[in-house]
Amino acid sequence: MHKPASAKAPVHPLDTNLKIDRNILGMALFIASESIFFLLLILAYVNFHNQYGTGAMAAWHLDVFKTGMFSIALFASSFTLWLAEKAHAKQSGLAIFWMLVTIALGTIFIAGQAMEYAGLIRENLTISRDMFGSTFFTLTGFHGFHVIVGLILLSIALFIMTRGKHQHEITDVGLMCVSMYWHFVDVVWIAVFSVVYLWRFVQ
Amino acid sequence: MEISNADLTSIFNVVTSQNKWMVDLHMFTAAICTIIFMVVAGLLVAIIGKFKTSENDDGSEPKQVRGNVRLEIIWTAIPLLIVTVLGVLTAIVMLVVNPAVGSKKPDLIVVGHQWWWEYQYPKYGVTTANEFYLPLGQNSLVEVRSADVVHSFWVIAFGQKMDAIPGHPTNMWIHPTKKGLFLGTCSEYCGAQHGLMRIIANVVTPEDFETWIKAQAAIPVVSEDAKVLKGKELFNAATCVQCHRVAGNPDANALIGPDLTHLAQRKTIGAGVLENTPENLAKWVQNPQTFKPGINMPNMRLTDADAHSIAVYLESLK
Amino acid sequence: MTQGALHEPHKPVNWVADVPEYKGILSWLTSVDHKQLGILYVMSALGFLVVGALLGLTIRLQLMFPMGHVVSQDSYNQIFTMHGTTMVFFVGMPLLFGFAVYLTPLMIGARDMAFPRLNAFGYWVYIFGAIMLYFSFLAGGGPAAGWFAYPPLSEKGYLFNSGQNYWALSLFVTGIGSVATGINLIVTILTMRAPGMTLKRVPLFVWMILMDAFLVVFSLPALNAALVMILFDRILNTKFFIATMGGSPLLWQHFFWFFGHPEVYILILPGWGAVSEVIPVFSRKVIFGAGVMAASTVAITFLSFGVWVHHMFTTGLGFAPLYIFAVTSLLIAVPTGIKVWTWLATMWGGKLRFTVAMLHAMAFIIQFTIGGLSGVGFAVIPIDWQLTDSYFVVAHFHYVLVGGMLFSLISGIYYWYPKVTGRMMSETLGLWQFWSFVIGFNGTFFVMHILGILGMPRRVWTYPLGMPGWAELNFFSSCCAFILVGSIFLFIYNLVWSFYHGKIAGANPWDAWTLEWLADSPPIAENFERVPVIRSRRPLWDLKYGSGGDGEDHHA
Repeated sequence: MHKPASAKAPVHPLDTNLKIDRNILGMALFIASESIFFLLLILAYVNFHNQYGTGAMAAWHLDVFKTGMFSIALFASSFTLWLAEKAHAKQSGLAIFWMLVTIALGTIFIAGQAMEYAGLIRENLTISRDMFGSTFFTLTGFHGFHVIVGLILLSIALFIMTRGKHQHEITDVGLMCVSMYWHFVDVVWIAVFSVVYLWRFVQ
Repeated sequence: MEISNADLTSIFNVVTSQNKWMVDLHMFTAAICTIIFMVVAGLLVAIIGKFKTSENDDGSEPKQVRGNVRLEIIWTAIPLLIVTVLGVLTAIVMLVVNPAVGSKKPDLIVVGHQWWWEYQYPKYGVTTANEFYLPLGQNSLVEVRSADVVHSFWVIAFGQKMDAIPGHPTNMWIHPTKKGLFLGTCSEYCGAQHGLMRIIANVVTPEDFETWIKAQAAIPVVSEDAKVLKGKELFNAATCVQCHRVAGNPDANALIGPDLTHLAQRKTIGAGVLENTPENLAKWVQNPQTFKPGINMPNMRLTDADAHSIAVYLESLK
Repeated sequence: MTQGALHEPHKPVNWVADVPEYKGILSWLTSVDHKQLGILYVMSALGFLVVGALLGLTIRLQLMFPMGHVVSQDSYNQIFTMHGTTMVFFVGMPLLFGFAVYLTPLMIGARDMAFPRLNAFGYWVYIFGAIMLYFSFLAGGGPAAGWFAYPPLSEKGYLFNSGQNYWALSLFVTGIGSVATGINLIVTILTMRAPGMTLKRVPLFVWMILMDAFLVVFSLPALNAALVMILFDRILNTKFFIATMGGSPLLWQHFFWFFGHPEVYILILPGWGAVSEVIPVFSRKVIFGAGVMAASTVAITFLSFGVWVHHMFTTGLGFAPLYIFAVTSLLIAVPTGIKVWTWLATMWGGKLRFTVAMLHAMAFIIQFTIGGLSGVGFAVIPIDWQLTDSYFVVAHFHYVLVGGMLFSLISGIYYWYPKVTGRMMSETLGLWQFWSFVIGFNGTFFVMHILGILGMPRRVWTYPLGMPGWAELNFFSSCCAFILVGSIFLFIYNLVWSFYHGKIAGANPWDAWTLEWLADSPPIAENFERVPVIRSRRPLWDLKYGSGGDGEDHHA
């Protein structure tokens, strides 16, 4: 039978535990951990950014406008995911629609990244060329990898949603965990985009 | 070994003014640590003696003590005071021992290689290897660099060590206060022969230093002796010149291995591995891998006679 | 496994080998039960301890005589690399995780960890990583750049076989498992405590594990970032640490030690927790100053992220950058020292019982103090300039890691073995093991302080003749190393002998006071049938005497 998504076991009056769902807490800690990982990759980029011959000048190779457009797709996908969550909480059928849009937007972002990589490599700006190549591809590459993992998570969530109310159903909590991860990936991109693409406008 | 009469290899052997400061600080810190340890050990011994459960114990629980605010404050405040004192002394000694270099140029440049040391005296245009000299009573500025991996330059009785990091030169000051022969060692794991990458430091009077450095700057006079010339020919032909420089030998200009210009004056071969005698040199030249396996100088596969011959040439390079 | 309210009443089981849920190897391979996983972690760690100890013994054999030739320099460099890597990542970490995942649910009155499958994931990923690293010997040679693998030496240009790749990849994988377990522990402790168990009432062991888990979650990703970079340098030809191409070997040092320093606190905190349980029980007193103990641990957790450059004092970073870290390193000594005073104050006025567990805890206090004080010495930068990278620092870290961590966790094993297996360990064998451990350990490592003062550098495959005292001290150290390794074998023998012949223990053989002693020995699958409401840090004291669990004055 369909169980309300927010049903919980009754809480003992003397319970002093943190009143956060354990899955959400776990995802939050995971995000904190990954933040440190990205922080260090960003620091490595920044450390080598001002080097003569690489770094600052090489970043000018990047097409800020094109990547900016694809970034908007990624940011929009966070918004559509939020819409999907709201729809799911209301048990509306629009949830599936917004999930599809989210996945599509995320895929567009990845496609954009892939095209950008292809273009750079054609211009012989490879990961092994210099410090800029090393730090740029590592940082954006790991971000892209995290986006792909996010797309997989979103697809799994979507699949569970399509099974309907009489089979296993994704709970509010489960969807929230996936959406936390996706928003995190978005926030990391804000940081990476600012540091890698926008910095030169500040110098 | 000729280096067997070296001064005592110990951080407490004070032979530089820098190390005097460091040893004084070290003794002070060690005294504090010893006292703290004695207190802890003493308390534990007293506890064991006083509070062992007796055989005819009645099984009751002793008085439960949750804490004692005054005691807790004391045993936080006193250590805090101790580390504050140590912190202040640390700053003072650091600034005395390693003051800023400013725009001063180094007197000695040390370059760490896998697994030997290059020494340059930029003010005299001298390059040598594995053994260096410093004048007594002068505060020499030493720059430490690396040609390959991370090494660390440590003459034990001089006190501090300083890492040799490629792309990141470092500095230290050495102000010797005692004449003598002092041994050191590479102190950052750098591969196969990290353990036998030794440092041989000589501190001599300023006059003797001038004599030495002038001799280093001079081109060695090659004797006309047939044996020596034969050895030189072999040296040039047997690929030695691919790696080694000898000033005055126009074919020998490579900077890959140690500069051998005044090899005969050095006390050891191979960065402290062998005493510098003709027999040892011949064996080394023939197959250094026997003494220091894994180094970059290969088994030269020379005949005994050839090796001996080259050794004769090298021993003539005073 | 039983579930819900419909389980049949079970027969009481007083030996872990008789537990029905544990029958058959499949139950172990597929288990998500925290008790089984805890046992697996500890047994695996002890297995690697034997391997690591034998590697260490080989090191000591090679160094027994000057210009020794027991192994070649290439083999030696791989051996000491594997010794360090094994001991830290395949012994230390799994040992503490084993304690943590086994004991935490029991101590907080929970049925299992928050994420049982993630728990299993953490364990199997560790095993996979360890096997992968040892596999490197069959694939062309092991890693040989030391356990902290400084570039440029660890780059392809200097170490060209695949050993370093295996090293980086294996630690990357194992690190992911560690973070998973860290997250699992934090969520468990924060969301699954028994009614009435506020965070102020958790056993100190659990508090230490909570802090430890935060250290893991925030420091392992730094290691992974560094490992990614060295792997990319070696495989994809990036230039992160290649100075000639604009990279920076110092960057590795910063990133590695940003992980590396919290890592050593990760290793020691659980041992502090174990000793904070053992000492009160065998002094028959509540822990002195529990609040300050907990607060000092929080201080250490935060400070430990701010001291990493003290591993880099000789890299010429300039006065200000170095001095800041001298200050933080000196400061971190204060909360650490507080713990020693607390343990001593707990024992003071008590009724001491010198069980083998207690003996190990007392030896820990002395040895950890020695290691800690030599550490304070290193915080005084000019002393570090003299002694870093010499055998003095080898002495220091073995005193805190073996004399500290290993002694305290072995104390914990003697203490909790009855709970895990249902049987007592042999006190006779334990006494032989304890004394040989103390003599072997101190004999091997104390003289290394002197060797460092006399100028012997570390990580050397041999040393020349004629150095003052080096031959004699190394010979002595190596002889004692045999005793040390022997004591480890004796410990394992005791574990095995006691498994079959130990006295049946019962639920609470030590008359201890934390919740795990309420459970059966070994605990039933659900751990508890009923958990009492918690009113203090010592629930069983409250059950016995009605009140006073937190040390309000009580004369029984």
